[in-house]
Amino acid sequence: MATLDIVHLSKRFGSVTAVKDVGFTVNDSEFMCILGPSGCGKSTLLRMIAGFEELSAGDIQIDHESIAALPANKRPTAMVFQKYTLWPHMTVHDNIAFGLGLRQLSREVIERKVKESLALVGLSGYEARYPAQLSGGQQQRVALARAIVLEPKILLLDEPFSSLDAILRVRLREELKRIQRRLKITAIFVTHDQEEALSLADRIAVMSGGEIEQLDHPSTIYSNPQSLFVADFIGAMNLLKGVVQDGTVRVGEKQLAVPSGKVSNGEVTVALRPEDLVLVPDTQIGTVWKAKIDQVMDLGHYRKVLVDVPQLGDLKIFISKAVNLNEGETISLAPTRYLIYQNGNPPVEVNQQAQ
Amino acid sequence: MSTLNPPLTSGFWERSRHSFVSMMKRDGFGLLALVVLGLVILGPLYSVVLWAFAERWKYPSLVPTQFGFSFWSETFSRADIVAALPFSIVLALTVTLLSAIICLPASYAFARMRFRGRQLLLLSFLATNAFPRFGLYVSIAVIFFRLNLIGTVPGVILIQLVNTLLLMIWIPTAAFQGVDRSLEEAALDVGASQLRVFIQITLPMVMPALSAAVLLTFVNTFYEAQGALIIGLPRVVTMPVLMYSLINSQLVTQYGAIVSFVLWLPSLLLLLVAQRLLRGGYLTAGFGV
Repeated sequence: MATLDIVHLSKRFGSVTAVKDVGFTVNDSEFMCILGPSGCGKSTLLRMIAGFEELSAGDIQIDHESIAALPANKRPTAMVFQKYTLWPHMTVHDNIAFGLGLRQLSREVIERKVKESLALVGLSGYEARYPAQLSGGQQQRVALARAIVLEPKILLLDEPFSSLDAILRVRLREELKRIQRRLKITAIFVTHDQEEALSLADRIAVMSGGEIEQLDHPSTIYSNPQSLFVADFIGAMNLLKGVVQDGTVRVGEKQLAVPSGKVSNGEVTVALRPEDLVLVPDTQIGTVWKAKIDQVMDLGHYRKVLVDVPQLGDLKIFISKAVNLNEGETISLAPTRYLIYQNGNPPVEVNQQAQ
Repeated sequence: MSTLNPPLTSGFWERSRHSFVSMMKRDGFGLLALVVLGLVILGPLYSVVLWAFAERWKYPSLVPTQFGFSFWSETFSRADIVAALPFSIVLALTVTLLSAIICLPASYAFARMRFRGRQLLLLSFLATNAFPRFGLYVSIAVIFFRLNLIGTVPGVILIQLVNTLLLMIWIPTAAFQGVDRSLEEAALDVGASQLRVFIQITLPMVMPALSAAVLLTFVNTFYEAQGALIIGLPRVVTMPVLMYSLINSQLVTQYGAIVSFVLWLPSLLLLLVAQRLLRGGYLTAGFGV
């Protein structure tokens, strides 16, 4: 229904810069996640869009019109907050109807919209309850209903599920996605939970230190993290120190192949996803690490295994449950795909299987 | 709020009797302390209530030998009491209203604004309670004397206002601090103006605490005697001041007893209401300012 343009946006609190020259576009009906550790500026960014923080520099545009000068109560955005922010002295009905009443709609229209929005979040019949009579999950559903009933151009969500337990979090996540798809509403979802971001987002903006490190589709973010920060922050990753010399990178005792000409001699970091380290027969030649199994963790459909490689340290690998492994055993591992990071440049990908 | 308080059922008395017996078995000293405390607190009340309805009560009888209401009609036909009771009520209402006008906006500022000396100013309201009142009043009386405020109604209003400051600043400040800012932001977010947010979101949430503060202030002011005595006499006579003089100088014990009794009832009721209002936890939530 609407597009959002963030243009060279900055926010300074005294001498601290919380958001540094951030710019991106959220497309119509797109679900964008802003992902980052606490203190990275993601909430500040969202609060600037909502109008709760003033801009230090830059512009915010909805449908190519600047809203930077509008106060929060005049912006066509609606926010779902991290904490339960239902008004405790009002019933569920009154909480949802409050914003509608300000828009001078007729009583019938308000009643119909309240009913519809409650049905949408699966809480029909809860109109007369007070927030204190609802569970945390129900309160956040009402908060969501209160936001979407106003048909905002942009829906803003500030870690709305972070105070819920894990099972409820996943269920509400799925419901939110379904509602967003159905209403085709443009949404920005701020979270520090990468799983949440990967499962919800059409695109993810990874933030760190007030800047956007990478903005991409979830699968691209996972498979091709453009910086070491993103590589480390998203998903499980083994980061190994290495030295490049004469076309190979030396990691521990072994040499790994490097595409010629793409990496100069010197120190690099090699990033290896756990699933890109595979079990090989002991007799295989090439780059094979002998590893001692330290710990086997059963995670349901697969197992996470911590192994110790001489001169390299601890590595994480994911192994199918079909393979029988015991702690203390020695296994052979070969890397199938890895990324080489050097001097803050975009990584060089090496895919052994493709070769 | 009502859901938080367990209802008083008939089982309440059984349970309390049971716990009383078990406490007696377990802790004899505690029981002794309870009895002594009960005597100290309820003893004078008992004596005053009995005196108020006593026609005749002579030693060594434990209860009056004759009950009746004849002293009530006598008491309320006294000109000084008939004048002092309505005056005291109007005075207490005036002081409470003025205190609210001064203190409530101030407490909002204390809760919401960060200014230099905020903490110190907030603590300074404790000062009137931290030192002996009487000394304070005497030194204020010296100033008031020069300003020709002794024996005047404005003088009494001023001295009683000083007494209300602590309660009327601290309780509302704690209440305003207890209101989560994001609740107000959520209201702004759906389009409400700042004024509407204050009236429809902030105010209803602090209302119980504000009402309690106002009630307590009214009760405190209604019973305030020291300030009114020092600043008000001889021309301004409030009910508590009159009660003092009745108790001190009259040979008829019943006058003082009846006036005390009449003064207790409203305060008891108002305090019960205030206590209910304060159960929201505002005091505990906000007094660590």
